[in-house]
Amino acid sequence: MAKIKLATTWLEACAGCHMSFLDIDERIVELLNHVELTSSPITDLKHPPESGVDVGIITGGIGNVDELEEVKMMRERCKILIALGDCAVTGGVCTMRNPWDKEDVLRCGYVETASTVDGTRPGSEDLPELTDTVKAIDQVVPVDLYLFGCPPNADRIWYVLSELIAGRMPKVEGEALRYGMDE
Amino acid sequence: MSEIHLTIDGVEVVGQSGQTILEVAQSAGVDIPTLCHHPMVSDLGGCRLCLVEVEKMRGFQTACTCPATDGMVVHTETPKLFETRSLVLQLLFYERNHYCMYCPTSGDCELQDLAYRHNLDHWLFERPAENKDVDASRKYFVMDHNRCVLCRRCIRACDEIVANHTLQMAYRGSHSVISADLGLPFGDSSCVSCGTCLQVCPTGALIDRRSVYGGHREQVDRTVTTCMQCSVGCQIEVVSAHRRLLRVEGVWEAEPTHGLLCVDGRFAPLYDEQRERVTGPRVRRDGKLVDATWDEALDVAASGLKLGDVVALATGANTNEALGGLKSLMDRLSGKVGCLGATLPCLDGVTAGAVTDVPEADLVIVAGVDPLETNRVLGYLAKRAKDHGARIVVVCDGENTMAKFADVNLNSGQASQTTELVAQAEKPVVLYGAGLSSEVAANLRGLSKAKFLGLEPGANGRGMAELGIAPVKLNGAKAQLWLLGEEEVRSTCLPAKHGAFTVAVASYQSSALDEVDVLLPAPIWAERSGHITNLEGKTMALNGAVAMPKGVRDETDVLADLASRL
Repeated sequence: MAKIKLATTWLEACAGCHMSFLDIDERIVELLNHVELTSSPITDLKHPPESGVDVGIITGGIGNVDELEEVKMMRERCKILIALGDCAVTGGVCTMRNPWDKEDVLRCGYVETASTVDGTRPGSEDLPELTDTVKAIDQVVPVDLYLFGCPPNADRIWYVLSELIAGRMPKVEGEALRYGMDE
Repeated sequence: MSEIHLTIDGVEVVGQSGQTILEVAQSAGVDIPTLCHHPMVSDLGGCRLCLVEVEKMRGFQTACTCPATDGMVVHTETPKLFETRSLVLQLLFYERNHYCMYCPTSGDCELQDLAYRHNLDHWLFERPAENKDVDASRKYFVMDHNRCVLCRRCIRACDEIVANHTLQMAYRGSHSVISADLGLPFGDSSCVSCGTCLQVCPTGALIDRRSVYGGHREQVDRTVTTCMQCSVGCQIEVVSAHRRLLRVEGVWEAEPTHGLLCVDGRFAPLYDEQRERVTGPRVRRDGKLVDATWDEALDVAASGLKLGDVVALATGANTNEALGGLKSLMDRLSGKVGCLGATLPCLDGVTAGAVTDVPEADLVIVAGVDPLETNRVLGYLAKRAKDHGARIVVVCDGENTMAKFADVNLNSGQASQTTELVAQAEKPVVLYGAGLSSEVAANLRGLSKAKFLGLEPGANGRGMAELGIAPVKLNGAKAQLWLLGEEEVRSTCLPAKHGAFTVAVASYQSSALDEVDVLLPAPIWAERSGHITNLEGKTMALNGAVAMPKGVRDETDVLADLASRL
């Protein structure tokens, strides 16, 4: 049987979800028996191949124009798209800036904080522009499976992956459904 | 009341007429989801989580308000109900900030539990962007309107349990917020910081400052004990984690006050205690108090007390066991035992009442005491009675916090008017205290129809009185033993030493202890085990929630050890 092609990406988030993914520990060997990891933030290739993959995992919310493009690309190239972690599912902690204008947020963060001396807003054409608000993945593209958690613990990530390997769509309910850090 | 028969989810169950569908279901073990319902307050059917289907009734019914009737066929878990409740939850999550990942109540939240139960694995609607205020103007707990689901439990608790009427709704629709005194910051309002609203809040809208992030329900220990801050004997649940005291909660099921507490019991001991603990035994050597072992200190104490002519003085902060131990020790030494602080005047022949009589009363007479200051919960219960139509009469010559809630304010000279008022009442209750003048006492004694509650000044004042411990004269005692517990005893209240050898057992340092010859440490409220007798004369259990610090021993044990060395 051909291996399942898996791509992961990490948008506006803290990296905790990918750390938790790596926390599946030795089960990663079992995973790689069944799965080809085509691209991820922790491998050389960062984007899924144009030919597409079976499963895509997005961690993080959408907070700038690059992330917006990335999400659209993931949706185009992934048959099953998973929003993994509170930020991907709801926008998460990054949405704390949403009640304010993004210019005010940048000024507050880089210029006005009490510990900042002669602060300036970083500006470079390499830096993507912030979106007006931080959004969850499903506010931009359809999502097939949601896994709440900040981060979801390794056992719950493994549950989702092993169900997919077994050819079943995971049911995220009961013990598999946990919000935030309520593990 | 008559028996009624219902079918709930295909099972025949028996209820009583007058019960709601929810009550019948709960007593039959059927778990209908609820959010705005709380067993201690009236129901309003606001949250729509307890919706059920009743055959032959149109639409859905709120189980918490719909009266159960004979022959009713109720369904609580149909796919349609599940879908409707899920939608209700989606709307609740949509309305405010219910991001669990940065909420201190995550893991202890009823909204979260309901969302798990309804498999809410993502949100359907646009996320909220409006920021509501966070009101941190109160000392002990914070109101975050962003986390509020507008269930109004806090409003109902403030109205119905505490009778304080501070809270109400302000604005309309999605702008609705819980408001204090029509828009004051909570800290400037009539709020008495009893914390009842905090305890009934189902989400992270009301947050206790001290215990926040201290551990959620699966990580904490809970110990039921008796509040030691006054003589009412409220049952409290001490919540601790890793031997750290987190918070105090009222026990809804327990008499005498069914979960109602006050600022003195719930918050003050945890937030406001600034005194330094006595951490180990100390003895006087070369004019100075120095650290000693228990053996050394007890030997010095025993040899000093053996000099004869001993007087022991106890405060109301001691357990019955410790007081009993003190009495038997003094019997062996042929010494006297007396009490420190005020005592209640003796009102022979009056009918004793219970705390639960107060909210049921139709007339509450307050005399010689300011319950809203000294035994606050009784003040709240009297106000609850007033909400149900009772009259409050305050007999007082000076200031009294209760006066502004009184229907009749009398001075001591007018105390005879109480006779007429009691004659007109059906369930009169008298709350009296140590400040009662003999003139007023003489009037009150004649109120044979009334039930009396004496508000003992010390937490275990009643226990002391029942052991016959009363004020004593100390003239010329050669040795003194003070059993102070946590009570602040000013040096002016203590007898002049006149060179007497003095042993003190105390939880906290104070200037009164500077001159003693032996100082022995004592536990505090959360560490004590034993019993006290509350103002009703009921024996209440104390259970240590946290271990005593190393070096501290329980007084009962210390007194027995001391006796063995005589």
